[in-house]
Amino acid sequence: MNNLENIIHKIKAAFHLEAQQKRDNQLRVDVDKNLVSSVLLYLKNQLGFIHLNHISCVDWIEDNQFELVYIIWNPQTKLTVMLHTRIDRENPEMENIDTIWDQAHTYEREMREMYGIEFPGLEAPKEFILEDWSGIPPMRRDFDTKKYAQETYQTRPGRENARDVREELMKRSGEELPDFAKKYSRD
Amino acid sequence: MTENPNSKIKTIGIPTEEEIRQAQIDFSPRCTSAGRVNDKESQKIVRYILNFARKHSLFVLAYGTGCGAIEIPATMTSRYDAERFGIRGAATPRQADILMITGYLSTKTLKRVIRVYEQMQDPKYVLAFGSCTINGGMYHDSYNTIKALDRYIPVDVYIAGCMPRPESVIKGFMKLQELIQNGNAGNGECYRKNLDWYRANQQKVIKNWDFPDAYNW
Repeated sequence: MNNLENIIHKIKAAFHLEAQQKRDNQLRVDVDKNLVSSVLLYLKNQLGFIHLNHISCVDWIEDNQFELVYIIWNPQTKLTVMLHTRIDRENPEMENIDTIWDQAHTYEREMREMYGIEFPGLEAPKEFILEDWSGIPPMRRDFDTKKYAQETYQTRPGRENARDVREELMKRSGEELPDFAKKYSRD
Repeated sequence: MTENPNSKIKTIGIPTEEEIRQAQIDFSPRCTSAGRVNDKESQKIVRYILNFARKHSLFVLAYGTGCGAIEIPATMTSRYDAERFGIRGAATPRQADILMITGYLSTKTLKRVIRVYEQMQDPKYVLAFGSCTINGGMYHDSYNTIKALDRYIPVDVYIAGCMPRPESVIKGFMKLQELIQNGNAGNGECYRKNLDWYRANQQKVIKNWDFPDAYNW
């Protein structure tokens, strides 16, 4: 019996969700925000996905959304399920799941600091890695890291007229810079 | 960063050599050993002996801020055996002569480094380690790491490299020994004298400033 197809059928029967197979041992499920904890609990208690690998966040600034990805793993069958959910970017708020997995606590603290996503009921100090940070969270895509670094920290002078090695060699031999290399150009 | 009104630096385009020279003048740290004339002839005999003794007993407070800390065990253990130069570890800042900054400094660790540096007793030397302390290294565009350490605390010797091998670390120590023997190292006094300049730079980066007002040790 194919284990993955079995899981796909079970998820469909329980929640009417379409799971896609991404690799030989990997499934992707797109879930509504409100269903996340119940799907996670079902996968953990019924199907043996007892290990939370990671919770990551993707900033879809074009869609005005954040995507949270819960990656969970079954140590017996060596299968992975990735649970994708989209939340609003203006008032990002997500259910706190550190009652299901304790280690979710750390990831949620990090996302709260780096993306500004609120997790109601998360009992932790506000600061995690950064100290005295004011302004937009640094991992959001509308935060201009390079501009901030240039404004805040002083650069040692002396490398202002440094040239791109690739371009100099191309000029010397009279060749054209290929298209893929142009986006790395210094000018 | 607030712009220096006297500076002739434009931010866009490739600057001329004159502009680069001006930038270096604007940027140059207050405590350098370059201007001091203090060789063997001009030293009193007591100072000469003191410097000789100091250079052969360097107690290092290795403040492992970054990845460079991994080179210190290799330097200290039997293969490179830094103790033959009199270099060994110290437990606390009060007992140490050298503050060794190994790698990048985030704003969070910079605050601790400044506190540690101020608690050390004179004569104190700073050895900065790796290209991150010189110009930011691979973290040159990070939102959370400083790019030039000598703006915040005076530095005696820089060791270039990413990472410097134990040979270069020992070479850096030997350069420091040479500076100590000539009387050119040790910037604690200069730091106290130019405290306002350093404090202004530190406060630009450290937002929540909760240091004691007086620096009196």
